[in-house]
Amino acid sequence: MKPDLDLHEWVNRTRRDFLTTSASGIGGLALASILGKNGFLAPRAEAGTGPMMVHVPHFPAKAKACICIYMEGGPSQMDLFDPKPKLLELDGQKLPESMTKNVRFAFLQKDTARILASHRKFERRGQSGMEFSDLLPNLATCADDICMIRSMHTEQFNHHPGQIMMNCGSPLMGRPSMGAWVTYGLGSESDNLPGYVVLTAGRGTSAGAQNWASGFLPTSYAGVLFRSQGDPVQNLSNPPGVTAEMQHYGIDAIKDLNSLHQKAVGDPEIASRIASYELAFRMQSSAPELMDITGESEETKQAYGLEREEPTIKAARGGGTGSYKSFAKNCLLARRLVERGVRFVNIFHASWDHHSNLDVELPWNAGMADQPIAALLKDLKQRGLLDSTMVVWLSEFGRTPLGENRPGYAKVTGRDHHPFAFTLWMAGGGVKGGTVIGETDDLGWGVVKDPVHVHDLHATILHQFGLDHERLIYRFQGRDFRLTDIAGKVVKAAIS
Amino acid sequence: MVKAFPAMRFPHFALTLLLAVALSPVLAQAAGTVDFNRDIRPILAENCTHCHGPDEKDRKGKLRLDVRDDALKEHESGVPIVPGKPEASELIARVCSSDRDDVMPPPKANKTLKPEQKELLKKWIAEGAEYRLHWAFDAVKAPPVPEPAKAAGAADLVEWARSPIDRFILARLNQEGITPSPEVDRRTLARRLSLDLLGLPPTPDEVETFVSDSAPDAYERLVDRMLASPHFGERWGRHWLDLARYADSDGYEKDLARPYAYLFRDWVITAFNRDLPFNEFTIEQIAGDLLPDATEQQKVATGFHRQTLTNREGGVDKEEFRCKATVDRTSTTGTVWLGLSVGCAECHSHKFDPISHQEFYQLYSFFNNASERDIPEPTAQELAEHQASTEVWQKKLTELEQPLQVYLAQITPERLGEWESTLKLPAEHWQVLPPARLAAIMEGAEEQFTAQKDGSIIARPRDAVRTRYRIAVAPPRGATGFRLEALADAGKNVGSGKDAGFGLSEFYATIELPGGETKRVNFARAAVDFADDPKGAERIIDDDRTTHWTVKKQAKTSHVAVFELAQPLDLPEGARFELHAEFFTEGVMSHFRISATTDAAPFTPDLTPDAIREIVHTPADNRTEAQWKKLTRYFAEIADDEGRKLNEAVLVHQATKPVLKPTMAPVMAADTRSTHIHIRGDFLQKGDEVQPGTPAFLPPLQPRGPKADRLDLARWLVSSENPLTPRVRVNHIWRHLFGRGLVATENDFGTRGDKPSHPELLDWLAEDFREHGWSQKRLIKEIVLSATYRQSSNWRDDLAQRDPLNVLLARQGRFRLEAEAVRDVNLAVSGLLNPKIGGPSIKPPLPPDLAALSYAGGLKWTESSADEQHRRGLYIHFQRTVPFPMLVTFDAPESNVACTRRERSNTPLQALTLLNDSTAVECARGLGRRIALQTGTTPDQLRYGFELVLGRPPQPAELARLQQYCDQQSQAFRSDPEAARKLLGGKYDGDPAGPATLVAIGRVLLNLDELITRP
Repeated sequence: MKPDLDLHEWVNRTRRDFLTTSASGIGGLALASILGKNGFLAPRAEAGTGPMMVHVPHFPAKAKACICIYMEGGPSQMDLFDPKPKLLELDGQKLPESMTKNVRFAFLQKDTARILASHRKFERRGQSGMEFSDLLPNLATCADDICMIRSMHTEQFNHHPGQIMMNCGSPLMGRPSMGAWVTYGLGSESDNLPGYVVLTAGRGTSAGAQNWASGFLPTSYAGVLFRSQGDPVQNLSNPPGVTAEMQHYGIDAIKDLNSLHQKAVGDPEIASRIASYELAFRMQSSAPELMDITGESEETKQAYGLEREEPTIKAARGGGTGSYKSFAKNCLLARRLVERGVRFVNIFHASWDHHSNLDVELPWNAGMADQPIAALLKDLKQRGLLDSTMVVWLSEFGRTPLGENRPGYAKVTGRDHHPFAFTLWMAGGGVKGGTVIGETDDLGWGVVKDPVHVHDLHATILHQFGLDHERLIYRFQGRDFRLTDIAGKVVKAAIS
Repeated sequence: MVKAFPAMRFPHFALTLLLAVALSPVLAQAAGTVDFNRDIRPILAENCTHCHGPDEKDRKGKLRLDVRDDALKEHESGVPIVPGKPEASELIARVCSSDRDDVMPPPKANKTLKPEQKELLKKWIAEGAEYRLHWAFDAVKAPPVPEPAKAAGAADLVEWARSPIDRFILARLNQEGITPSPEVDRRTLARRLSLDLLGLPPTPDEVETFVSDSAPDAYERLVDRMLASPHFGERWGRHWLDLARYADSDGYEKDLARPYAYLFRDWVITAFNRDLPFNEFTIEQIAGDLLPDATEQQKVATGFHRQTLTNREGGVDKEEFRCKATVDRTSTTGTVWLGLSVGCAECHSHKFDPISHQEFYQLYSFFNNASERDIPEPTAQELAEHQASTEVWQKKLTELEQPLQVYLAQITPERLGEWESTLKLPAEHWQVLPPARLAAIMEGAEEQFTAQKDGSIIARPRDAVRTRYRIAVAPPRGATGFRLEALADAGKNVGSGKDAGFGLSEFYATIELPGGETKRVNFARAAVDFADDPKGAERIIDDDRTTHWTVKKQAKTSHVAVFELAQPLDLPEGARFELHAEFFTEGVMSHFRISATTDAAPFTPDLTPDAIREIVHTPADNRTEAQWKKLTRYFAEIADDEGRKLNEAVLVHQATKPVLKPTMAPVMAADTRSTHIHIRGDFLQKGDEVQPGTPAFLPPLQPRGPKADRLDLARWLVSSENPLTPRVRVNHIWRHLFGRGLVATENDFGTRGDKPSHPELLDWLAEDFREHGWSQKRLIKEIVLSATYRQSSNWRDDLAQRDPLNVLLARQGRFRLEAEAVRDVNLAVSGLLNPKIGGPSIKPPLPPDLAALSYAGGLKWTESSADEQHRRGLYIHFQRTVPFPMLVTFDAPESNVACTRRERSNTPLQALTLLNDSTAVECARGLGRRIALQTGTTPDQLRYGFELVLGRPPQPAELARLQQYCDQQSQAFRSDPEAARKLLGGKYDGDPAGPATLVAIGRVLLNLDELITRP
């Protein structure tokens, strides 16, 4: 009789838990080489142990880190990125029925809806001549570093399913997010900070912590939320009355007592526990150091717009007072995180869900985002980090060229959700700057050239990390899961 | 969306070799004959059946290799398998081919067979290519218990075995020449048992009693005491709640709280405590509502499938998410009871297991024929409070009635007659039409309506942006018109608008013909009793949604509108008639009623109640006493100031009649829907209609009637023929007691899952479980009494290479506790635990910025009272989009899908939680206090604290290290008394250094790996 070999668990356990020094007798090094030869993501020998140990990717990577700027709610692409002069001509007219047939909307009444032209002005910028609206004057100066995808499409037209589709590759709850997949596949270079960090500004997003969940992957791969006030990481500060010195005494005592017990029972897992306490202790100083931006130059702070004046706004949709500052700080922190070896950073801002009051609220939001993001791109570039750091602008969908005529609105001043064609962009990490991918029709209704699905975008992002989206697999409940489900094609034109 | 299987591309076979080397004695054994299930099936499942398997859509070359008859048939390129003749078998030719166009698996599949696998295939064909049913689908056959064999050097082990379980384990270990571990010391055993059975550490007294009890049955009695503890249900109930994906909120965007979800949790706890046999436990959760004379509790049990997610986001297609929930119910049932990835067949036939796309929807239809319902489940307290307030209300009513009665008594028939003669009542007769079906074209709206006995409908006030009431009624043949009454109840307004009126923009009818064609019927004329705008009535039928009939100026009174049809209604047989009332921005009607008439137009918009009209139309002499009373009262109501005042006081009070608002249990209830296959899993693409049924490869379903229902399904799951349910359940229980199942893939007993490490033991336990009335307590007792369970969990270097995962169980497992248990042991040893069992969920402090992460920051997190905050972890309110951080940090499941196995991670965030979290600090203070109460020398106190926390005395080295820390810390506090005071929580009158040091000691003890580890 042959015993059960249980390979999957073996592999996972080996990857996660076994220490180089473990009493298992199979040294991490030896195992690494065996696994590596067979195409598995091998741990890099010198990189330590644990769930975040660094792994060699499937093939050489362009990107080492990623900053995902997630603009929750669906920013209006035809007011920011995808100029549609034809709409001006047709402003106030109905769409032919053939276009809206079989189309589901969240709120819009399609029998009476009319085209709403953009009130923005577009200009060609950079050597590439990429067009940006007047709401993004600073970002436009980075045109030649940006690869803009005007042909994004998704099936999800509601926020929560749309957000987890964009962040986790599925409209159903319970799947791991992109950041979780990447850190699962590659680990993290940072010894003192979590591999996957989440920063938020504005109000809460529809999908909440689902957007950075580990799903069925071990919790170690979930994004760790860094807070802008109080402890940057939950429970980072010592309890009242416990000084750093006392904390040191305590952790030393814990370590020694745990070691004594390990000698008695021999379980190598105790060594992992000891290591986790030591990392926690290091985080207690490294996280506040990270959050402390007083050492940044005045020039840098100004570039990011930390002290900008925030225009007043009556609506709460953009996140309310203080969003300008917190968003700018998050962009700066993202750079500091990447500098310190953090693998994946999410910046969330809610909300861009402009069903109404578009011409007031979109400029407010764009004003918040434009300067800090441009500063981030330039800052990364100047420090030589942009080549290895992907910066991605994401959202769950775009907005309709039709004005939203939801009953109950006195006037049509906004746009409804539009999943069929919207714009996202990427920069850095081996992305081909100054490139525009795809085209939409004259109305911005549908994609007419080079459609890019959410799965394709995910495949491309993973590819830049040296990960083959078809080989980054986790078996859960008898099924092999991927970030890209059963689809996804790398967008070759977007990468150099 | 699950669409298909991605290719499996991990290089498992290389690892097979690695392990095979490690377990070399085993490899030698495999050199005998080929075993289909052991040797061949995994090769086919991993490499072949994705394209040559059960899924007819993806099947290549019309060949399936999972069915012998098919594999032996002539196919396009030859006969795949010729039994006895590997050289004539196309299968062998293809897997051995070096031609890229011929070789199987094809290069693009990224899979290659190892030479030894090819050899196995050849050997298997040479031996006759016998197929065998996949082990888990074959009937449970309990094998004889192995005789304790005396393996070389293992003679003394015969005595080691205490139970049949041990003999199976030992037989396997003997084969490997591995000796089991000795029994663990008694303190550790008591601790292990208590953590496993109750999720709490044993109290020092319990440990002492057991340690000093030398009777042979001391351990068994300890087991019995723990099985009888009410905390047993909490511990094992929580395991079950993982499978049930239990949570206290809806999930998705709005993620509304489910305040009564806990009723299901309570049911589970109680069921475990009373050891409800697993077959009944199953039946009640799947179909408790369908049991004859189902009790309330049996209905509450169906809350199992109310744990699915609900999407209440604006603009979603509700049917889409209802279908998703139904899919989840189907898949979860498959995972939890059958251990099968049934959900893989949602979009196409299963790639590896014999579950067709159609069979998935046959299972689905059991759950499609059910709907979510909330049933009243009033608590004793709610009933008592209701009764008390009703008594007070009744007394007041009597007081108000009295002057009214006096007033009514003095009204003479003459006065009434005089008044009657002034009445101008409409000639037509109206017949009230109670709603046959009612829906509003807006999410979540069905629950907004309650039908009243008088045929009217009360609508809960709501935001009236684009609302349409759609009311199915059965009008009389030849109806000529309809009446819509908007009723203002006493003391209330007639609508929900800003001015508490309403704005009716359109009112029309639709007729849906049996063929499905729908036509709209507009009314020819409308009239109303009152309108803010003289043209109000026309606006209801002008086909313009932006204009409407409003009654802002008279929002406190009832109103009525009447509508004429252009021609009398002639409904064809089987047609469905619906009335539509569209509201725009000005509010909806709060209470309304529909009537129809067959009399000739024109109609009068008159508010006189129908009953009064009937009385007035009755000659005075023919009126009954009751009619006179009613008429008199109506007169008082409208005709005279004094009467109106007295009457109104009564009416206003009547409207305040206390209503019992009971706890509402979320349950499932029978419903009927036709079920179609969803092509590629898309609910909009309907394929063939299917009937409820179970997969053909499993024993047949035995329905009670012509159409199978959920109760039939539930009984089938636990029928004595079902090979999966008992094996799967036994395996779950085993895993909780050893940290690993006999089948490691506890969620996949299919062809791609792992084979059992001890197949005979698994079957023996499964049969034993079923034979003994499916008693889970008995099964648990049987396992924990075994020598296998009682072994030491100490790491053994001799096993590290041979069996690093401890598959063969030559020792016990040692593993970190689950999130809730980590919390519970901390609270327990620090003396803070509130052991209260059951009831609504609790809310310990949550950092406010975390609540702000919820949708639009909408989560209201009201902290529970201090006492409630220290209850066990399983009672913490689980908000799906903002899960409680401590629980998530320690790997509690996200509760979106069934969780069959928790991860056990080991992260710095866990360390930070145990070091610094506010609950951790409270626990350290609590423990410090407990230690302080122990008088004696410092070493005495340290020893006491250590024992409180870990249930054993410290070793000298441990005590010395603790003493060293104590000295360091005490010196630090002496030089910084302010710090000491802060650690104690602020105020402290005496010298704070000593007590603060004890708190610091407590904090170190509570952070030891040993505390949060099941030994």
